[in-house]
Amino acid sequence: MTLYIVPAIFLGVLVLSLLRRKDAYAAFVKGAGEAIELMAGVLPFLVAVMVACELFRVSGAAAALADIVAPVLAPTGLPPQLTELLLLRPLSGAGSLSVLENIYETYGTDTFIGRCASVVYGSSETVFYVSAIYFSKSEIKRLRYAIPLALVASFIGNIIGCNLCRLI
Amino acid sequence: MSIIWLIIMLLSIAALLLVDPAAALEAMITGANDAVSLALTLVALYGIWLGLFEILAQTGISDRLAKLLHPIVRRIFKGEDAETEKYISLNISANLLGLGNAATPMAINAVRGMKRDPDRPAVATTNMIMLVVISATSLQIFPSTVISMRAEHGSADPADFLLPCIVATVASTVIGIIGVKLISSVGRAVVRRRKKNAGAAL
Repeated sequence: MTLYIVPAIFLGVLVLSLLRRKDAYAAFVKGAGEAIELMAGVLPFLVAVMVACELFRVSGAAAALADIVAPVLAPTGLPPQLTELLLLRPLSGAGSLSVLENIYETYGTDTFIGRCASVVYGSSETVFYVSAIYFSKSEIKRLRYAIPLALVASFIGNIIGCNLCRLI
Repeated sequence: MSIIWLIIMLLSIAALLLVDPAAALEAMITGANDAVSLALTLVALYGIWLGLFEILAQTGISDRLAKLLHPIVRRIFKGEDAETEKYISLNISANLLGLGNAATPMAINAVRGMKRDPDRPAVATTNMIMLVVISATSLQIFPSTVISMRAEHGSADPADFLLPCIVATVASTVIGIIGVKLISSVGRAVVRRRKKNAGAAL
């Protein structure tokens, strides 16, 4: 199903622009030209976030923190094996994807842990990455409660999803 | 963001200083390298999506999409102009379709176009926080990456987690929206009370 979404969007848009006699080529070139200017603003934030994430993972601080946090998870119904995934998911898509792969290899995809991990990864976003990049081209410095709220909301969603995994 | 970044950096570097000091610079270089190669990939991807967006704008599709989502967007994001609403609508649509890389440039433009608090121009407004929270709690209804990963790892039923996953996605976003509305209205009430007290003192 999802395989068809992107080509269908492009086909539909191009056909419509043809029907309306617009110059799609000129418009595409104009839009694509904005990408470099946009990325030049985003790159410093990308470097900052990814350096921190790599350090967090390599230093073992992520794993150590996971060990500390694990007992807290018990009353929520989330399996403690997911702590590292829960910690890394908001930081980096690629980093947490390798943790997810690890969980699939260790516990299998169709076990409770495997399904819970799928729910956690599938229903969450890279909160820190999104927060840093969205504001990268504005002069906004203080995000106030945006990050904590997004983290808490995602975490509650994860708890609901994992407990549903027990039932369904 | 600044504080969280600092904490992660301090914790990790302190840990590495004790365990393996040589790995610190190595990890930083790996991270920066990853960022640069991701940036190159993203320039290409943003090029495609911003190119498509320009065609969308030219053919009037983005206006129509914005009009379609207007009743919802207007209720969640109060008092933004039509251009900003258009970017918000496109961001939400792309996120719903799971096209995060298409959603990002739209959000950057939306944040740039949003009204700012004249007294505190460097502080995020409620609408900006709302946009971040909605995106950061994930809107993706169909997590295609996870499904294909499960299939690759020999799952008997790769889509078996879909229902709890969708419930979790919707729940987190709804909680996020309600949270922003709640916190901002409490904040407004506090400001109003302060003004009232200041008036009474005079």
